[in-house]
Amino acid sequence: MTSAVSVQHGGSPQAPSADGFWNHYIETMPRERLDALHLHKIRSLLAYAYDRSPFYRRKLDAAGVAPHEIRTLDDFKRRVPFTDKPDFVHLQREDPPYGTTLALPIELIAHHAETSGTTGVPLQIPYSMYDTVRYGESWAYGYWALGIRPSDSFYFAFNWGNFAGFWSAYWGARRMGCRVISGGGLDTKGHIQAILDKNPTVLICTPTFALRLASVAAEMGVDLSASSIKYTYHAGEPGPTALPAVRRAIERAYGAKAGELLGIAEIDAMAPGCPIGDGVHVNEMTVFAWAIDPDTGAEVRDGEIGELVVTSFANTAQPLINYRTHDLVRPTRTCACGRTWLKLEGAVLGRADFMVTVRGTNVYQAAVENLLAEVPGMSSFYELVLRREKGNDTMTVRCEPVPAVPPDQWSAVGKAAGEHIHAALHVRLDVDVVPPGTLPRYEIKTKRIIDERPPEFRRLLDRTGARA
Amino acid sequence: MTVPELVRTIREAREVLARAIGETDLPQIEAMLRNADMELHWALWNLGETVSVRPELDYRDGVRW
Repeated sequence: MTSAVSVQHGGSPQAPSADGFWNHYIETMPRERLDALHLHKIRSLLAYAYDRSPFYRRKLDAAGVAPHEIRTLDDFKRRVPFTDKPDFVHLQREDPPYGTTLALPIELIAHHAETSGTTGVPLQIPYSMYDTVRYGESWAYGYWALGIRPSDSFYFAFNWGNFAGFWSAYWGARRMGCRVISGGGLDTKGHIQAILDKNPTVLICTPTFALRLASVAAEMGVDLSASSIKYTYHAGEPGPTALPAVRRAIERAYGAKAGELLGIAEIDAMAPGCPIGDGVHVNEMTVFAWAIDPDTGAEVRDGEIGELVVTSFANTAQPLINYRTHDLVRPTRTCACGRTWLKLEGAVLGRADFMVTVRGTNVYQAAVENLLAEVPGMSSFYELVLRREKGNDTMTVRCEPVPAVPPDQWSAVGKAAGEHIHAALHVRLDVDVVPPGTLPRYEIKTKRIIDERPPEFRRLLDRTGARA
Repeated sequence: MTVPELVRTIREAREVLARAIGETDLPQIEAMLRNADMELHWALWNLGETVSVRPELDYRDGVRW
């Protein structure tokens, strides 16, 4: 094709796409058109899910709503019931691996991922091949906005497990045609040496691991700000957008521009970072998002803080419709960058439930509590202590054995708890066993999470204590 | 090329592909054609066109998993 494509809405010729956009045409699409598209997609998705997923057929039938009855976005918000992670985990446990949540024949599932569940049982996530393409595309929007181009080369500083986040980052890099270098199997010093040897221009990892790499490099006498890295891009935990102090630290350590994407494993890499750096934009081609008061379920207005509710058009294998994320966000519909896609200022500001992120893994208080209850000799009294150590968020499980356990066996009980948690959640937490009766007892509002991190390394609502 | 012209061209390409998918008996080539059709479906999606949830649903001879 030799002629340029116009991007004016309505189809008249005009200047080619602006450089800072992966697809200027849709990233700046007027709200009315975006909402009309959402309504069409939602109606199609509801019919698709109703026809193919026994879970959604039961859910919609129980709510007394048929897909064709949804004629407006307000209908959708008011009449289609919410879904939540435990719904899926429960059905998957009844009929592994995906239960009645699946909407495609299993032979069309091309990729499997897992994410932490609220109770310690992971959520199984199927994707069709097309879903992986859609998922990767969301990263490409973010990469391009930050300045990354097909001539760049990516270094992935992590091991390739079942985590969706960085698999999809890889799908996005492939989508853009960039060179990809895997850091799988290497330790921290190995990653640093690989960066020096292979000269990648983009580093992909969690923000805390980026800081860890920089710290170890400094100990090795290596200055990563003089390396080939021009961009760092992060997901998996609060990063440069949510925490300005983290942005400053990473950009200083690497002499690079740092970007962040808000992804939810089962949904999509759903909200690439705004190039201005103060928020993320929901990819409105693959996600319909709105926000509610987490207590009442009522929609909150633009500019107010509410719980993000999303419907994914990216995952056709296991549709997620009106899915409660429990992420607290402040949505707005205008941005100086020119994008019309819903902006979440500061990315995720806090959680409506009790979940914290440790080394890229979501750890739910309820999950730890359930796992501790399964350890012989462990009592129900525990605290989760968050600290910031050597650039990393750490979590210590401070817990009491039952009084019948003699002191010489406390250490063994703690070790068993640590191994049990690691096996279930795939993250190692320190376990500190304290004598029975040590931890505070509460009559109401038991406080289990003790956050000792400096304020600048906490999300906004955790810093201000706006939500207990 | 304007966006409407681009959309029309992609839709025509999908028509051609659908015919080829239905008539080839070579699994390798069918897989390639399906991938090509998937990309074109995705292109329409990202031009703001109203297409089905998955490309297979657009085939005139019904759903072919």
